[in-house]
Amino acid sequence: MERLAIAMISDFFHPGVGGVENHIYMLSTELIRRGHKVIVITHGHKPDRVGIRWLLPSLKVYYIPFIPIASSATLPNFFTSLPYLRTILLREHIQLIHAHASLSSIGHEGILHSHLMGIRTVFTDHSLFGFEDAASILTNKLLVATLKNVDAVICVSHTGRENTVLRGQLFEKDRDDPTKLSVRRNIYVIPNAIVAEQFKPRPSEPSETITIVVLSRLAYRKGIDLLVATAPRICAAFPNVRFVVGGDGPKLVDLLQMREKHLLQDRIELLGAVRHSDVLSVLSRGTIFMNTSLTESFGIAILEAACAGLYVVSTRVGGVPEILPQDMISFAEPEVDDVFRAISEAITIVAAGKHDPMMAHERVKTFYDWQQVAKRTETVYNAVIQSRQIELMERIERTMDLGPFAGPIYTIILLVDCVFFLVLEWFYPREDLDYVEHHWDDHVLAQIQPVSASRHE
Amino acid sequence: MKTSEAEWERVLWKAQGFEDNHIHPQYFLESLRKNPNFKPYTYWSLVFLTCAITQHVSSIFIFLGIFLRLREGSLNPRGLLWSAIGAFCVGYGCWTFLSSARTSNNRKAAVEKRKILTLKSSVLVFLALMSLSPVLRTLTAATSSDSIWALSAILFSLNILLADYSVMPANEHGQERLFSVLSVNAAVSSSVVLASRLSTDAAVFALVLCSVVAFACFPLLRRLIQGTLVAWVALTVVLSLFAVALAAYISDTFTYLCASTLVIVTFVAPGVLMWAQKFKNEIRGPWDVAVPIVD
Repeated sequence: MERLAIAMISDFFHPGVGGVENHIYMLSTELIRRGHKVIVITHGHKPDRVGIRWLLPSLKVYYIPFIPIASSATLPNFFTSLPYLRTILLREHIQLIHAHASLSSIGHEGILHSHLMGIRTVFTDHSLFGFEDAASILTNKLLVATLKNVDAVICVSHTGRENTVLRGQLFEKDRDDPTKLSVRRNIYVIPNAIVAEQFKPRPSEPSETITIVVLSRLAYRKGIDLLVATAPRICAAFPNVRFVVGGDGPKLVDLLQMREKHLLQDRIELLGAVRHSDVLSVLSRGTIFMNTSLTESFGIAILEAACAGLYVVSTRVGGVPEILPQDMISFAEPEVDDVFRAISEAITIVAAGKHDPMMAHERVKTFYDWQQVAKRTETVYNAVIQSRQIELMERIERTMDLGPFAGPIYTIILLVDCVFFLVLEWFYPREDLDYVEHHWDDHVLAQIQPVSASRHE
Repeated sequence: MKTSEAEWERVLWKAQGFEDNHIHPQYFLESLRKNPNFKPYTYWSLVFLTCAITQHVSSIFIFLGIFLRLREGSLNPRGLLWSAIGAFCVGYGCWTFLSSARTSNNRKAAVEKRKILTLKSSVLVFLALMSLSPVLRTLTAATSSDSIWALSAILFSLNILLADYSVMPANEHGQERLFSVLSVNAAVSSSVVLASRLSTDAAVFALVLCSVVAFACFPLLRRLIQGTLVAWVALTVVLSLFAVALAAYISDTFTYLCASTLVIVTFVAPGVLMWAQKFKNEIRGPWDVAVPIVD
């Protein structure tokens, strides 16, 4: 296929750490390997992560000077990002932008602006949201407006897709029967992946004790209450079981209190925050991985644990049931009794030696792979590039469909954005832009003699 | 076609030979549930629950009526003082009777102890108010009356909005929630600023005592009465009629305002809520944050 120039836009990127950040980096790397040109646009980080940076291998990152408000997300500005994005997208000859994460307003703005320059849009949703609380209602409203005019949507799990379809109202009139609504055809499911080589099981000496590993942010949404309630029961029922808990967060106090109350200091080890590079060493201390999340879009931590050869016990929430075959994972309802039952079963399975870590690793290796993800994403890009660009009039009509209040508001935003763009075209003409002529080229780099070598002569 | 549709599984770990945008018509959104906890309200049960609000609003109207009559001098402060003390004693008697009926025998001693404490603190409040009333009378002398009306209106609205209309105390220790504490504070502050418009110390004292009885003590009693149907309805009727009767002494406009507010709150608002229920559209599915069951 032809070589594309792609811009990944998200508030969440390196130096931030997390699932979305990692996803964008891995996907960009694989796309570069497949011959595309990829840049990343994100917001700057104080004090010095600003301007243009390069990441290995030849990934160019633009840090726009916006200030994040909370957990690295910026405020929805709608217009202020247009001058930056216009310059960057034009000078890099971008053909397609790929926005990530529904809480990243810079991504939404990218989708809003890019049609002005004839650039196509793809959006990836990484998380699940409810419909009840005020925060969800507000972000869903923003999301609906953005997704009305996006060319394709990618979700990371089937549950995530159902959620995004409902949140973004991604329905359109049926082609055969215009009275019925059907789901839009441009919503794809492409899972995350892991680098299996980074999670090779380390051989351990056989021992009587069974170690249960928990690696998670210690927050309510991760179901730490369930852990606090079940851990003492498991310790009482199985004298040969130990716990290793990695992670930090507001629920750490509850864990500490539980440990103190039941005198389990020698059986429950709390590690505090664990760096991503140390995850494997923590995982390889145990044989069972326990995940008590109350909501999970994909559950990459579960996958990493399974890949490292651990037997997984998880609550049956969100997209977790989709990611592994039934015989590699035990499910529990989010209830103390059921979690206890599932853990007991897992301990029996592991104690009987029915779970082979090496085999589990080999199997997971075949399931998920970033190359496959990049290939499937490329198919989406192709379909988008070949599809028809939505005209401005159609955009306005679609936006007006949003509702009696939201519709006119977003239409005004859309139109003001067009006017602002025209002002920019006049004030800062395209001819005056500083276009990028050369991109990173490994061959050129290889031909140049290293400076140190020439100095020695 | 039929067989290939049947082969599709809702998993991510294996390649299934379908396009990534394939949507299985049967499995897609199969676990979506709409309005799973939907319980249609019945009109009279809503009216019964709304009585708490009616009582609260009537007590505010009664308080305003008392204030207006004190201000124009047609109500004797001494009489009001004695009736407030009388109302407090009757209410306290009811409260003791009803709460002793609920508490078990082994907590009797604690209840006895609390009774003495309550008596002590009520005497303290009484004396403190008495000594403070000259200060309260001149507290806002420099402020214009218009500001006072606006301020007290805002504070009373806050009081109505934040008041705790629930049946039982928030927890077993009988502690109040933050909102109901704010609500009581708003009402008492409002009556303090209103009292500063009165001319005699005795009137100020009587009015503030009234407000303590009506806004701090009465809500505690109200919760206990809600258990018995007849007393609950009777209390609502008596309070509303008293509020309207008191308003009738003052002016026609105030009477209409009072009566129509009470009727709307008690009878129209539940109807509106029932009508609005048909717009309820609650979406539930596997993406919701699960509620952990921890015993």
